[in-house]
Amino acid sequence: MKMLTCSRLSSYFISSVRWLGKSVVVLWFVGDISAQAQQPDQSQKQSESAKAPVKWVQAKDLPTEAAERGNVKEKNGVISTALKWWRSTDRPWDLQIHGFITQAYVLTSDNNVFGKSHKDGSFGLTEAGLNASARPLPKLQLSAQVLSRRAGEGNTGMPRLDFAFLDYRLYSHETDQFGIRVGRLKNPFGFYNDTRDVAFTRPGILLPQSIYFDRTRNLGLSGDSIQLYGETAVARLGTISTQFGVWLPIVSDKDTQLSVLGTDVPRGQLSREVSYIGRGIFETNDKRLRLGISGIWLNTSYDPSSKSNDPIGPGAFQFSPIYFSAQYNTERWTLTSEYAIRHLKYDNNFHSTVLDGQNLYGESYYFQGEYRFTPRLEGMVRYDVLYTDRSDRDGSRWAEKAPGRHGFSRFAKDITVGLRWNVTPEFMLRAEYHHVNGTGWLSRLDNPVPGDSKQYWDLYSILASYRF
Amino acid sequence: MYFALSLSLLAIGTEVRADGHYEIIINPSVKERILSSNTLRSIFSMHLKTWSNGAKIRVFVLSDDDQLHQIVSKEKLNVFPYQLRSTWDRLVFSGTGQAPIKVNSSEEMLEKVASTPGAIGYLWRANINENVNVLEIK
Repeated sequence: MKMLTCSRLSSYFISSVRWLGKSVVVLWFVGDISAQAQQPDQSQKQSESAKAPVKWVQAKDLPTEAAERGNVKEKNGVISTALKWWRSTDRPWDLQIHGFITQAYVLTSDNNVFGKSHKDGSFGLTEAGLNASARPLPKLQLSAQVLSRRAGEGNTGMPRLDFAFLDYRLYSHETDQFGIRVGRLKNPFGFYNDTRDVAFTRPGILLPQSIYFDRTRNLGLSGDSIQLYGETAVARLGTISTQFGVWLPIVSDKDTQLSVLGTDVPRGQLSREVSYIGRGIFETNDKRLRLGISGIWLNTSYDPSSKSNDPIGPGAFQFSPIYFSAQYNTERWTLTSEYAIRHLKYDNNFHSTVLDGQNLYGESYYFQGEYRFTPRLEGMVRYDVLYTDRSDRDGSRWAEKAPGRHGFSRFAKDITVGLRWNVTPEFMLRAEYHHVNGTGWLSRLDNPVPGDSKQYWDLYSILASYRF
Repeated sequence: MYFALSLSLLAIGTEVRADGHYEIIINPSVKERILSSNTLRSIFSMHLKTWSNGAKIRVFVLSDDDQLHQIVSKEKLNVFPYQLRSTWDRLVFSGTGQAPIKVNSSEEMLEKVASTPGAIGYLWRANINENVNVLEIK
């Protein structure tokens, strides 16, 4: 019965997501129109603050312009009234509501990314989120976000609680802050993980997959935790902000099971065990230089099914990556690089020759440059490298161990170029091209037959995103 | 006619801007008179949430592409507007903070800062009246 409701629910959500996809196309047009409508409005707005003192001149001498302006305002009437209501400052507890919706089209020469993207392409990636935050007391903030992500076999679009927590500021004095957060929290690692599903905050349609795997995203995304955070000024140089959390990871999804156990239909289940996470970021006062270090200590173990004869034993798995991040910002350039070394360790209790005793270090890094031609038009180039096992970078030793294995599934080198066009501050379009050597970060759910995958492949993608 | 007028408007505009006559303004309920520029940046980055007396800080800003917003951002806060935007987005979409409240005009800025307890914003000096206080930044 429960299953039935569940499948009904999910088919309902899938159809609603399809509808969302269509509505994005509509949004695209609306965005275009409103952008055009806003053009004259914006040029006025820019000089408005300067003009204001001589407003009486305008009112008296420019009746025609004033009338035109009124017209433009009327065109945006319904949307802007609604937005004004959202933005209204009179709501109790300083309530704020924000959200976003993103639709991408992905076409690949070989291999599948976010659904059946091979040859015909697919509209397989849809992301939508809605969040609310409130401050019932000056030092207390409550925040929650619901997220729907449809991306290939791993994410069906079923909405999930992305975060929901309370944040209490224990100490606050000028540039020094200290506080505690309790609830479901986004995991703070690297520069991008906290907001990885919001297209506006990502440096591309795809994040550097070597570090921000979309394949095992749910594992690293958020968890139920208690976090302490602090921020303090360092002499006159800048600020250091730190976060440290104790958390229970979310390990119940197919992607995670497949990655950890090698099967997405285990008879038993992975159990949540106490894990740790921490991040420190140093930022100069002008935010030009940002340096970060983050680490995760993730624990999970397998609970075999007691009823059936489970082939997998009660093993324990540990994942402990460390990330180093650096960014330099100028008016036009943003240069970013991150490096990760990932320790994966299985104990000897899985009763599996593949898993037992596996103990390896993966390595990842990328270099990325973003260039703002104008505030509205940005270009991006990136080189992103993943090695599943740094002591076997080309995967040859791994491939020798069993027939039918491809060494190229143990690494990926991705060259990316992309364009971003901020049509309005709320609406964005993107286009991106990837040339990839290796299949190291491909989802095994979307690419179930290893023999079908190709070593060299291309990915083309466009994306539209709206936020409020 | 149009041309002459826009030219004169432009002249007045540059005059206003040339001597940097803009100010950080606060609601009269705020007791602070002087702030360091680092504290000001902490406020506009939405990290510092309360005034020294414990009252809520409420931050008001103009649109990202507004000229005054860009000037205040670069000159007073010493960061580029796109960096403020990405700071705010990180807070909002990770739930660890709130966005400043966007106003659409100088008039609205004046009105909102004058009427909202704990409010802070910025304006060209010519648009400021006695309903708000000016904050000195050192």
